[in-house]
Amino acid sequence: MNGPIYSLRNVKRFHAGRLVLDIDALDIEQKEIIGLSGPNGGGKTTLLRTLAFLDKPEQGRIFFDGKPAWDHVQEIRSQATLLNQEPFLLKRTVKLNVAYGLKIRNRPNIDQAVRDALDMVGLDYRKFSSRHWYELSGGERQRVALAARLAIKPKVLLLDEPTASLDRESAALVQKAAIAASQSWDATLVVASHDFKWLNAVSSRILSIAEGRIGANDDYFGAA
Amino acid sequence: MDYILDGIRQAIWLLITGDPETFSAIKATVLASTTSIIATLVIGAPLGFILGYAQFPGRRAARLFFDTLLSFPTVVIGLLAYAFLTRRGPLGDLGLLFTIPGISLGQTFLGLPVVIAMTASAVEHLDTRLETTLLTLGAGPRQLLFTTLWEARFSITLAGLAAYGRIVSEIGISMMIGGNIKWHTRTITTAIALETGKGQFAMGIALGLVLMVVAFAVNLGAAAFRRRSEK
Repeated sequence: MNGPIYSLRNVKRFHAGRLVLDIDALDIEQKEIIGLSGPNGGGKTTLLRTLAFLDKPEQGRIFFDGKPAWDHVQEIRSQATLLNQEPFLLKRTVKLNVAYGLKIRNRPNIDQAVRDALDMVGLDYRKFSSRHWYELSGGERQRVALAARLAIKPKVLLLDEPTASLDRESAALVQKAAIAASQSWDATLVVASHDFKWLNAVSSRILSIAEGRIGANDDYFGAA
Repeated sequence: MDYILDGIRQAIWLLITGDPETFSAIKATVLASTTSIIATLVIGAPLGFILGYAQFPGRRAARLFFDTLLSFPTVVIGLLAYAFLTRRGPLGDLGLLFTIPGISLGQTFLGLPVVIAMTASAVEHLDTRLETTLLTLGAGPRQLLFTTLWEARFSITLAGLAAYGRIVSEIGISMMIGGNIKWHTRTITTAIALETGKGQFAMGIALGLVLMVVAFAVNLGAAAFRRRSEK
């Protein structure tokens, strides 16, 4: 399939009666790296959750790989994965956290996939794999949470301010791992971040989103 | 005072020498309570998950119902179970009256509200990011259920321990459904009541000591699990 991986048409989301996302048309191409910028509360997280098929829009249609997404949501949801700003780990070891998505997909060679994913986020397998969720720092938790997503090699990796609460070293490792995902298996990346320098360096285009609408700095839509 | 001390001395002797009548009551209690706690957890944990997770009409009324059942007197549960299990009752053909499985059935009804209410509460208080994380990692409805229950495992174990404490120490159901039949359905609590009524303190104290050890072990386990669940 060579068309866009996402096509959003007239998508609207409401929260407590207030319009929080209002997108007339948005196409995201395969293998693209999209940056999302905008003020807090502007709709970045709502858009990412919509792209992760966690929340169904009240109006409009979303196509994923050319197919109406919500008609095959369970199948499609497993191809687009979201990493939140606040890391959340299951109450189990690092290894079992990273292996979770692989196990429910019945993937083979889980041990090797966990090693590779931890390696991508700069965590030593021997040192970290048997650690429990409560034995990790904030930066390590975020990297394990990212490793859990990288392990399943998703078609789309959605990152919601993944480095906002991290120190410089952890932030650099997360950024490096995200780019590695794009380069290794051509994952499409959509990244919300206030780190404009990073977004400018890696993104094919940056969408600015405020009051739920995509606007300035969006050369794609600016040209349309 | 002497008769109490004498009772304690005799109780220790009964336990050390493995008095058959004393251990028959312990065996009946272990059998009935183990069966009922397993049934309680297998039925109660998924129901508690649904009550704590799903949104459906009448959910709040259902929560109120199970919360009310938490304080239901055991003799009333025994009475209701008796009404169902007696020969004239709707489940009379099962022949469970005056049997250990009959006691287990009644005790399951006693433990269910504890496990359902505490599991529902545990699921409600789970981190809201859990569901998002599971969905975004590709979990389907079945995996969502089992992983959520596993994430709440410490709280559910705590609920199981609380239910077990209630089950093992009840007397109303064991007396009414079991009938306190010697060598057969006489449990620790019914034996204590009977022996004390007869003025035979020794066996009552011996069985009381066993119950206290069980209660202590349950509380010790509950404290350990509470610490783990709060991490």
